[in-house]
Amino acid sequence: MAAPALKVENLSTEIRLSRATVQPVGNVSLEIGEGETLGLVGESGCGKSMLGLSVLGLLPTGGHVTEGSIKLGDKELVGLPERELRRIRGNDIAMIFQDSLSSLNPTKSIGEQVSEPVRLHRGVSRKEALDRALEVLELVGLPRPRERLSDYPHQLSGGLRQRVMIAIALACEPRVLLADEPTTALDVTIQAQILSVLDDLEQRLGMATLLVTHDMGVVAGRSRRINVMYAGRIVETAPSEELFSSMRHPYTQSLLGSIPRLESDPGRPLLSIPGLPPDLTDPPQGCRFAPRCQFATDQCRAQEPPLSGDSDHKFACWHPVDGPAVAVSASTGTRVSVTREPAPAGPAATVAGPVVQNGAGPLLEVVNAVREYPVTAGTMLKRKVNSVKAVSDVTLQVRAGEAVGLVGESGCGKTSLGKLIVGIEKPDGGQIRIAGEEIFRKRGGELRRARRTVQMMFQDPYGSLDPRMRVRAILREPLQIQGVGSTREQDDRVRGLLSEVGLPLNALERYPHEFSGGQRQRIALARALTLEPRIMVADEPVSALDVSIRSQVLNLMKRLQTERNMASVVISHDLAVVKYLADRIGVMYLGKLVEVGTGDDIYRRPAHPYTEALIKTIPVPDPAVEQAKRGVAIRGELPSPINPPSGCRFRTRCPLAQEICAQVEPPMRRFGQSHQAACHFPLQTPEPELPLAPSGDAAGSASGH
Amino acid sequence: MLGYIVRRLITAVIVVLGVTAVSFAILHFLSPTPAYAVLGTKATHAAVVSWNKQHGYDRPEIVQFFSYLGNLVQLNFGYSYKLNQSVAALFNEDVGRSAYLSGAALVLSLIIAVPLGIAQAVKRNSPGDYAATAINFTLYSMPSFFLGLILIQLFALDLNIFPVGVGDNITTAWQAITHPRQLCLPIVTLALLNVASFSRYMRSSALDELAQDYIRLARAKGLSERAVLFRHLLRNASLPVITLVGLSIPTLLAGNLLIEYLFNYSGLGLLFYNALGNEDYNILLAYVLVGAILTVLGNLIADLAIATADPRVRLD
Repeated sequence: MAAPALKVENLSTEIRLSRATVQPVGNVSLEIGEGETLGLVGESGCGKSMLGLSVLGLLPTGGHVTEGSIKLGDKELVGLPERELRRIRGNDIAMIFQDSLSSLNPTKSIGEQVSEPVRLHRGVSRKEALDRALEVLELVGLPRPRERLSDYPHQLSGGLRQRVMIAIALACEPRVLLADEPTTALDVTIQAQILSVLDDLEQRLGMATLLVTHDMGVVAGRSRRINVMYAGRIVETAPSEELFSSMRHPYTQSLLGSIPRLESDPGRPLLSIPGLPPDLTDPPQGCRFAPRCQFATDQCRAQEPPLSGDSDHKFACWHPVDGPAVAVSASTGTRVSVTREPAPAGPAATVAGPVVQNGAGPLLEVVNAVREYPVTAGTMLKRKVNSVKAVSDVTLQVRAGEAVGLVGESGCGKTSLGKLIVGIEKPDGGQIRIAGEEIFRKRGGELRRARRTVQMMFQDPYGSLDPRMRVRAILREPLQIQGVGSTREQDDRVRGLLSEVGLPLNALERYPHEFSGGQRQRIALARALTLEPRIMVADEPVSALDVSIRSQVLNLMKRLQTERNMASVVISHDLAVVKYLADRIGVMYLGKLVEVGTGDDIYRRPAHPYTEALIKTIPVPDPAVEQAKRGVAIRGELPSPINPPSGCRFRTRCPLAQEICAQVEPPMRRFGQSHQAACHFPLQTPEPELPLAPSGDAAGSASGH
Repeated sequence: MLGYIVRRLITAVIVVLGVTAVSFAILHFLSPTPAYAVLGTKATHAAVVSWNKQHGYDRPEIVQFFSYLGNLVQLNFGYSYKLNQSVAALFNEDVGRSAYLSGAALVLSLIIAVPLGIAQAVKRNSPGDYAATAINFTLYSMPSFFLGLILIQLFALDLNIFPVGVGDNITTAWQAITHPRQLCLPIVTLALLNVASFSRYMRSSALDELAQDYIRLARAKGLSERAVLFRHLLRNASLPVITLVGLSIPTLLAGNLLIEYLFNYSGLGLLFYNALGNEDYNILLAYVLVGAILTVLGNLIADLAIATADPRVRLD
């Protein structure tokens, strides 16, 4: 192979803060050849973004390279004067950032922003630069690019904005592309589209690409080689296939094992990495992973392991593992290296046993629920001109002890449905019944008492806890409002909950900001449980958390669900998360429930084309699987929920759509014992019986009202 | 957009009507007739009654109010019995001079405050930033007449660069423009007072914007720091200041009051000041009215300016 396009050798950087000095990147070496993609995987704060910014010479204030070299072809970039670096930025090396909304200037048009680097680096006229902008916008697959030139970023959807950002990066045909979490902020279906644009361009333009991500699935099929980064160090580097099949570093192993996978058995707890990544202002001595590593010995804690091994597969570990943990446990039938959740101390530790699902009728019934948000016009007299159809005629039942998941792209109405279930919002049509009663139609004190039956856990652990309340007050507040027990009893319950969610008792006197994201989500979970609700709604409970922390929270939620025999509704955009937590899954599209079934029904026998497309677009951390699926499974973007398509709402993006789909709305049909889908041309054969009445639901159980 | 402006103007008229009604009521409650001011405090009861009858002050208040409104529509603001001139004529004479003073001060304060705020944000927590902040707070906490006195002492009396007050030779706005030396001190005094608050706003909004990803992307494109600031930061960081400027337009009018008095510059402020002492209440009413109109217009102009500067804001 020719000289690499980008070669980083023994790079170390530091950032001086007012009180301490951080070393975000330590002794990192990597090289990328032309037309090659190198994956760089790690959790937030591991230094992967800082590595990218170091290459561009754009470290934040107080940051600089302390050691090592960065070579673009033969040119050394470290120590290059700012003037010359500027000529390289955006020209030879370009970068794509994660959040396309905040990364585009809100007050400049798309055309101006894309043509800016062209004018800067090529010294062409405004007109010529705009022509070039048009060319690249076409290249990245922006529909009708000429009309978009004068648009502003807020007028485009997230997926289109990300294409614009890629166009900016590609405008000057860079030799090296640094893609920093290019798809993290996007829905899976859009993510698949953007990744395929990147794949395609890289081959056509022969760029060297550094793909930085926290998602093992995203890099799996795309990069020849993957580097795993932890706490500023590269801990393992290997060709993709080898890394996934026979990793040597325990961190790589646990990172992979901690991701909930669609094909894995949800009955088995996820591998989880205890603790948190180290603080880089004061990194631990020896191996930086040692404090969280189950194989750590005194040697690990004293001496830092060098990155060694054969030239192709290197790792930095004194006690390397051999291959993935899940495979080991699957073949031997034991869970050798599965780290369990810390055992709960409370009396609730006795496991309630497997959930029994027969007998009693459904605890929660959503019957033909409709929720529409008015769209108004006029400044003085607000008149309703239209409405956003957030939830349209959804029927769903949840039994006691059962967990039902809701998945779908953002804007599909899953959160709105969650709000209806919790009673934060009232349905515009249909009913929400709990134990056969419409409890949210009550008023005053009765309504307040009714509210304790259903509780909610929110997505953002930073925004959902009052920053000026101590944890004790946060957990006690629901009990005080509901007037449950004496002060002493309330206090006892709070203490019990805290140990149930695995937090120390001294947490009671602390404020939310003193905790990490994962710990805060545990507090949020405890708060949802204080009133011992019969139903808990968890809205994206882990999507704000890092991969290694995510599995801790997921395992905890799963355990508490079982122990408390509580009905739960888990809302997530991540099908794997939902499949791990839920017994049944509902797939939503544009306000409609299009398919319901068990995890296996949905994953192995999807009947609705949307479900199938959704599954196909989820990046799987397995190079073989990822490489096999080329091409885009689902085209276009979510239509506006203000004017949803007639008939079947999915028809505009459906490969199987025919005329009838536009005319007749497909009814729910049954495909198995608890498997239903609404499609005219389902992928499975429906059971030979009459279509169900719209109010009927799973298991042939009572449609009695 | 046009529909929006029309609707806003309708709201504006309603607000101004309300202000007029309230101030009219208060003034009439405090002093039901200007008769004593005109005839002197020793005037006989009979003389006052006949004066009231002659000038329509014997009618019910509501009738008087509507006749006042009717006059307003014809731009007749009433008559100043003290100055023996119509209020409209008096205002007409002074409005240009006041507008020039306020406008020049506003422009000058923006010319200083916007770059200063950005520079402070870029060099945040540097000695220069701290020094500018200290000066800003000092200015901000200083009463306008006090600042004016200091500047007069320093530049007029000690250094003798500028005249102490504006001379009587300045009678029109055009003369004010063509005699910059005489207007220098009042304009600078008024401007400095605004620099303090504008630059604090500018600094904090520039700090917010500097932390945004699009600034990082602009740097990653290879733009120089200067180009990043001018092409990307400036417009976005100015948005919050636009609203502030719109809201400060009526305050400039109030600021004029003391400054005009201090520098003996005959403008609306000075007119109002004298009217206060004379209970010349048609002038007082008109001044309050002008204040209300400026407040409403300042807001509207700020909103329109924001809509022009920020494509995300749509007015409809």
